[in-house]
Amino acid sequence: MLAKRIQPMAFQARRLYVELMFQVMGRALQAVSEVDETVQQEAIALPEGFLFEMMVMPNGSNLIVEHTGNGRFHYHGSTAPRPVDLSIQFKHIAHAFMVLSFQEKTSVAFANDRMLVDGDISYAIRMTRVLNRLEAFILPKLIAKRAVKEYPANLHLPEKLISAARIYLKVATNFVETVRA
Amino acid sequence: MTNKYYEFFCPVKVIAGKAALEHIPYELTGMAAKRPMIVTDKGVRAAGLLDPVISACEESGLEIVSIYDDVPPDSSTGVVRDIAGIYRAEKCDSIIAVGGGSAIDTAKAVNILVSEGGDDIAAYSGAGVLKHPLKPFFVVPTTAGTGSEVTAVAVIADTEKHVKLPFTSSFLLPNAAIIDPRMTLTLPPHITAATGMDAMTHAIEAFTCMAKNPLSDAYATAAIKKISTSLLSVMENPKDADGRLELAQASTMAGIAFSNSMVGLVHALGHATGAICQLPHGLCMSLYLPYVLEYNIESIREPLGELLLYLDGPDVYAATPAARRAEASISTIRRMRDALYKHCQLPRTLKETGKVVEAQLDQIAELALDDGAIMFNPKEVTREDAREVLRRAWA
Ligand SMILES: [Fe+2]
Repeated sequence: MLAKRIQPMAFQARRLYVELMFQVMGRALQAVSEVDETVQQEAIALPEGFLFEMMVMPNGSNLIVEHTGNGRFHYHGSTAPRPVDLSIQFKHIAHAFMVLSFQEKTSVAFANDRMLVDGDISYAIRMTRVLNRLEAFILPKLIAKRAVKEYPANLHLPEKLISAARIYLKVATNFVETVRA
Repeated sequence: MTNKYYEFFCPVKVIAGKAALEHIPYELTGMAAKRPMIVTDKGVRAAGLLDPVISACEESGLEIVSIYDDVPPDSSTGVVRDIAGIYRAEKCDSIIAVGGGSAIDTAKAVNILVSEGGDDIAAYSGAGVLKHPLKPFFVVPTTAGTGSEVTAVAVIADTEKHVKLPFTSSFLLPNAAIIDPRMTLTLPPHITAATGMDAMTHAIEAFTCMAKNPLSDAYATAAIKKISTSLLSVMENPKDADGRLELAQASTMAGIAFSNSMVGLVHALGHATGAICQLPHGLCMSLYLPYVLEYNIESIREPLGELLLYLDGPDVYAATPAARRAEASISTIRRMRDALYKHCQLPRTLKETGKVVEAQLDQIAELALDDGAIMFNPKEVTREDAREVLRRAWA
């Protein structure tokens, strides 16, 4: 695989970053759904056992969460127990990186045709709102403003959870620096 | 460098103007189609709109093999299956849709079944399921509003499962859209007004929402100019064929604009209101348009201000200070709605429709938040925001 060997390090770092960020988001989705009422309210309209996937086309990294009822999400890692109900697919790893490193807002990425929805569009909108809320939790306010259309006025989360998520972010930020270097 | 990126796609041949219908036989022959089927509704047939289409074909020795004229206002999977059955039995080889949104969507879905095979249209629901071009397909719009002749989408109701099935694929686009002023000449005043405002909303939302881009902007502004110039004069003088053609072209242009840059909150609220209160789509568009623009104003001040040039002409534009143009655009739209209300009582508030009760507003807000169009609204819409816009639109 000549192409693979001559790939600059940055490409591999980008891939690792996206993979890691999917893990961060998967865990954070589960954690936030346990404490945040706004996320629960959005999620509760999803059917029980609803499987949501975010992935990089054609079959790159992904994350899978399940709505287990009552607005709670369960993170499944990267393997789904059965066919997923809704999949948000980035057309290329470069696009996933832009969104997951908060250089492009999720809604802008949709508007810019960076990703596709496979499944019910109304569920996709719900999940986008959940992801916006999540990004606002994980990120320091300054970066979150760039990542979501509007920064929510009512964020109340146990300090512990926020700091845990930010630890992930710190790891992630190191990757951004690696990639940008 | 910014992150700005866009895609623009419209492979539909537009055949527009006087005696446009007479081009259908040539276009069909060019695709080796000899046995077309017409898909339409009872209203179109009763208005005598099929006659010029049929005679245009027959004069060229092209026989219309079958006519299905029973498409309901909200088409269903059963209707699609029935029409596909007739198409196969009659050995048709192409489809001509004559009508508004429902006839066109139905014909798109029929084209999937007769090209891909099978009887279960639900199997093809979703995005990007189709991988091959479909049968030759032509659209003759009879309303100047929906823009369905240039959109890659169809929505069909699954009446057994009570869900709306969306279909998206660029293969759904017709090979050509035939825009002939004869087809909209007899459109009654309230439909002319409502569909004209639907097209206006397509263009304004395309120009002010998140996925706007330079190519869709060009189509949107040109469409707005045509509608602002011609809608009221056609209301005064319904037999004005030139004005009718302007509106029909504007509708297609606005369709090209929004199918490439999407719509926003006006459509999200309109879809929800249509579903809950059974109000016509164009009416809802006209009703919500100024309230949503007011809600979005701080996010869209610049593009909305720019639209004043196309809504009200260069004199007014030049005389209005840049800082006040966005508000002036909204005022122009309000004046237009007042004029339409005078002509045909096109409602300006939910109360004026007489079909909405205040208790339904929360339900409408809830459903609007699930609508795909809300994703592209320039402002993130919360439940409370949607309720507030609805309260303002109430009376
Ligand atoms: Fe519309």
